[in-house]
Amino acid sequence: MEGLIRFLVHLAIMTEIYGILSLTLNFQFGLTGLANFGHVAFFMLGAYVSTILLLVAHCSFPVALAGSVVACGIFGLLIAIPTSRLKADYWAISTLAVAEILRKFFYNEKWIVGGGYYRGGAHGIGGIPAPLEDVFSAGAYPFFYLVFAGAFLASVYLILERLTHSPFGRVLKTIREEEVLSEVLGKDTAVFKMKAMGISGALAGVAGTLYASYLGFIGPDQFMPLVTFIVWAMIVLGGLGNTRGALLGAVVIQAFYSSTRYFKDYIPIPADRLASIRMVAIGVLIVLTILFLKEGLLREKKKIYRW
Amino acid sequence: MSITQIIINSLIRASVLCTLSIGLTLVYDILKFANFAHVELAAFAAYMGFFFNVTLGWNIVVSAALATLATGVLAMALDRTVFKRLRMTHPIIVMIASFGLAIAIRNTLRAIWGPRPRSFAIGLQKPILVLGARITMVQILLLLATLSSIIALHLFLHKTRLGNSIRATSDNPELAQARGISTEVVIQWTWFVAGCFAGLAGVLYALETEIEPNMGFSLIIPVFCATILGGLGNPYGAMLGAIALGLAENFGIYFDFGRILSLGGLLGISRPLWIPTAYKQAIAFFILVVILLMRPSGILGRKVRSE
Repeated sequence: MEGLIRFLVHLAIMTEIYGILSLTLNFQFGLTGLANFGHVAFFMLGAYVSTILLLVAHCSFPVALAGSVVACGIFGLLIAIPTSRLKADYWAISTLAVAEILRKFFYNEKWIVGGGYYRGGAHGIGGIPAPLEDVFSAGAYPFFYLVFAGAFLASVYLILERLTHSPFGRVLKTIREEEVLSEVLGKDTAVFKMKAMGISGALAGVAGTLYASYLGFIGPDQFMPLVTFIVWAMIVLGGLGNTRGALLGAVVIQAFYSSTRYFKDYIPIPADRLASIRMVAIGVLIVLTILFLKEGLLREKKKIYRW
Repeated sequence: MSITQIIINSLIRASVLCTLSIGLTLVYDILKFANFAHVELAAFAAYMGFFFNVTLGWNIVVSAALATLATGVLAMALDRTVFKRLRMTHPIIVMIASFGLAIAIRNTLRAIWGPRPRSFAIGLQKPILVLGARITMVQILLLLATLSSIIALHLFLHKTRLGNSIRATSDNPELAQARGISTEVVIQWTWFVAGCFAGLAGVLYALETEIEPNMGFSLIIPVFCATILGGLGNPYGAMLGAIALGLAENFGIYFDFGRILSLGGLLGISRPLWIPTAYKQAIAFFILVVILLMRPSGILGRKVRSE
C-alpha cells in the first residue's frame, strides 16, 4: 500500500514536470504553428544549467532556476531566428538536430559539470541538491515536492492561458492560420514567433530544473529525441491548441508510460525485452491517436466573433 | 591518412547516405512530408538480411535481394495501413505519426533480436591496396551497387511509363490525374521504390559495419542533412547532398584546423586542432545551417513556396 502511494506521488510529480513541457510545446505548435521537434533541448538545457549553477557555482535554488529560465529563453529566441526564412519542415528537422547536438555536447564535455571520475559526460551527474531538502523528512519530501512542482505547473498554466487569450495570443493564432494575413495587418511575424519561442522556451526550462532537482541525477541518456515525441504524443492526444488538452494528454501518456514499467512484475518476459515492447506500445499509441482521434480528447474552442 | 583513403571513405559514407536520401526524397516529393520511419526501414532490411543469411543460411546475394524486396513491401504496407489515411492531414502531424512508427519498428526489432550487435556470415574482409588506400571487396561492391542503383533509378524515372507518372504526379498531381494517371497507384509504387532503396542502404550499411537496433536511428541526422542539403524532393539533389556531406564529414575529421587558424605560421598557434570524431554529426548539421542560410531551399531545391 505504501509502495503504491509512493508510486502515485512519483507519477504525479513526473506528470507535473511533463505537463510544463506539454503546455509549452502546445503554445509553440498548437497556438503559433511552430513545429519544434527538439523540445527536449529546453528540458535538457534547463536541467544542465541549473545543475551547473547548483553544483559547480554553489548557487541557491532560486538563482539556479532563474539561470535556467534565462538560458532557455535566450536559446528559444535563437532557434526562432531562422523560422522566417526556412520552410516549416526544414525548421522542424533542424530543431531535432540542434537538440541532438546539444545532447552530444553534454555527452562529450565532462568538464562542463565539474569533471572528475564518474562525474559528467556519459556518466551523467548525481548529487544534485533539492530545494528545502533538510526541512522535511525523507518520507515527507515527495509530498512537499508534489505541491512545489504543482505550484510551478499552475503558474505556467496561468501564464500561458493568460497569454493565449491576450491580443498577443490572438496574433499568434493568426500566424498559425494565415501568416500573410497577420503581415497584412502590420504585424512583424518574425518578432512574434521569436517572442513565442522565447517565452515558452524559458518556461520549459523550469521543467528541466524541477526534473534535475527531483531525481538528483541527470545524464545525457535521459534527453533522447524520444522525450520530445512523448511530449508531442501528449499534445496530439490532448488536442492541439488547447491548454487543458495539453494537461490531460500529459496525465494520460505519463500514466501509460510509467505504469507499463511495472508490468515486469506480472509478465514473465525478460526486462529488456519488455522495455522494447513498452516502447512499441508508445509508438503504436501515437499512430493510433493520429489516425482515429484527429482532434484529440479535448477540441480547441473556436471563438467566432460577430459584428 | 592519405588523401585517396579519405576520398574512398567519403565515397563509402556518401553511398549509404545517398541510397537512404533517395527514398526519403521520393516520398517527400509526392506526399510532402518527411518520413522519420524511413531510416528504420534500413534497419529492418538489415535484420531481414541477417535472418535469411545467418538464421536460414542462404547465400548473401540472395538474402540481400530478398531483404531489399521485403523492405519495399513493408514500405507499401505502411502506406496502406497508416499513411493512406493521412493524405489530407497537416504534414507536421504526419511526421509525428511517422516518428511513432519509427519507434514501433525500432523496438520491435530490438524485442525480437535483442540489443546485441550482429553481422552477416561473410567473414573478415581482407583489404586490398588501391593507390595507397585500403579498400575491401565489400566496400567495392557497396560503391558499385550504389552506382548501378542510381543509374537504374534515373532510367526508371525517365524511360518508363511509371517513372514518368511519378515525376508528373510530383510536379502537379491534379494535372497528372487529368491526364489519366492514378495518383494512388503512383503513390504506392513510389513507396515500394523508396522502401527498396532504404532496404538496399540497410543491407549495404550492415555489410560495411554491423547490425544493431539503433543503426537506422543513428543515421537520421546525416540522412536528413544530406536530403535537405540537396533540396527535399529532388533525388539528384539528394545524391549531391550525400556526396558533399560524405566529403565534409571525413575531411572535417582528418583536417588539421590549427594550420588554417595560424595562417601558415603567421600567428603563434602551433598546436594541431582537430574536430573530435564525436562531433561528426555536428559537422553535417553545421554545413546544413550554412547552406540553408544562403539558399533556404537547398542546393537544387525548388523555389520556396510561402506557407
